[in-house]
Amino acid sequence: MSDSKSEPLDLFKVLLDEKVHVKLRGAREITGRLHAYDSHCNIVLSDAVETIYDTDANDQLISTQKKSEVIFVRGDSVILVSSPNDV
Amino acid sequence: MSTEQSSLSQILPLELIDKCIGSRIWVLLSGDKEFVGTLIGFDDFVNMVLEDVTEYDVDGSETQRKKILLSGNHITMLVPGGEGPKSVAVN
Amino acid sequence: MSTETTTTSTEISAPSRFLNEITATSVIVKLYSGEEYHGILESIDGYMNVTMEDTKEYVHGKLIKTYNDVFIRGNNVLYISNV
Repeated sequence: MSDSKSEPLDLFKVLLDEKVHVKLRGAREITGRLHAYDSHCNIVLSDAVETIYDTDANDQLISTQKKSEVIFVRGDSVILVSSPNDV
Repeated sequence: MSTEQSSLSQILPLELIDKCIGSRIWVLLSGDKEFVGTLIGFDDFVNMVLEDVTEYDVDGSETQRKKILLSGNHITMLVPGGEGPKSVAVN
Repeated sequence: MSTETTTTSTEISAPSRFLNEITATSVIVKLYSGEEYHGILESIDGYMNVTMEDTKEYVHGKLIKTYNDVFIRGNNVLYISNV
């Protein structure tokens, strides 16, 4: 019933081959180039940097980074996808 | 015979909710979240549209919303005519 | 086409009608984990996947981040509210 002209997954089409920012469950974020996606939000990124947030013994926020040439992200852990040119 | 009997005695759960349309309803979700509002309608997944809503969050805070579409995903219980957590205060 | 009997008595369900009402307007999308996204609702599908424009992310009422275009996967959505 909703407008057939645009649906949410169309945004992925626009972002293909662009740098994207993905927020994941478990206080993780990944930025990388979007290579592929499907309707489950399974995603393949290249030149990816994953940032994992945690707190140390003194409750201070710490983050660690991991780099991967190619990474597959399973859709069920995806919270949010955006282009990375944010404030 | 038996079908007649069941049609007399049975009221389907969602029929009950259908009767609540236009009335206040108290919605309890998993994880201690609660909503009270006027039920505008719902669909087969029990996604519900509520109006003049009070949201009761886990931390005890209350938020007012004019009109919301509440996902049916986390709904655990519906109380027709319920006026929210305060109406059943325990001493 | 066919005369399907839905649980609600109206032809088009209240959730669909509400979504048509609020598409292209300012909305608040609240996630089950507590984050709120305030922005303009661009599109939504049957899974409650959502895209929004000019979006601000709030956690505990505090502005955390802004986004131009954002996609939110539907399973995380608690509710969508008009403003």
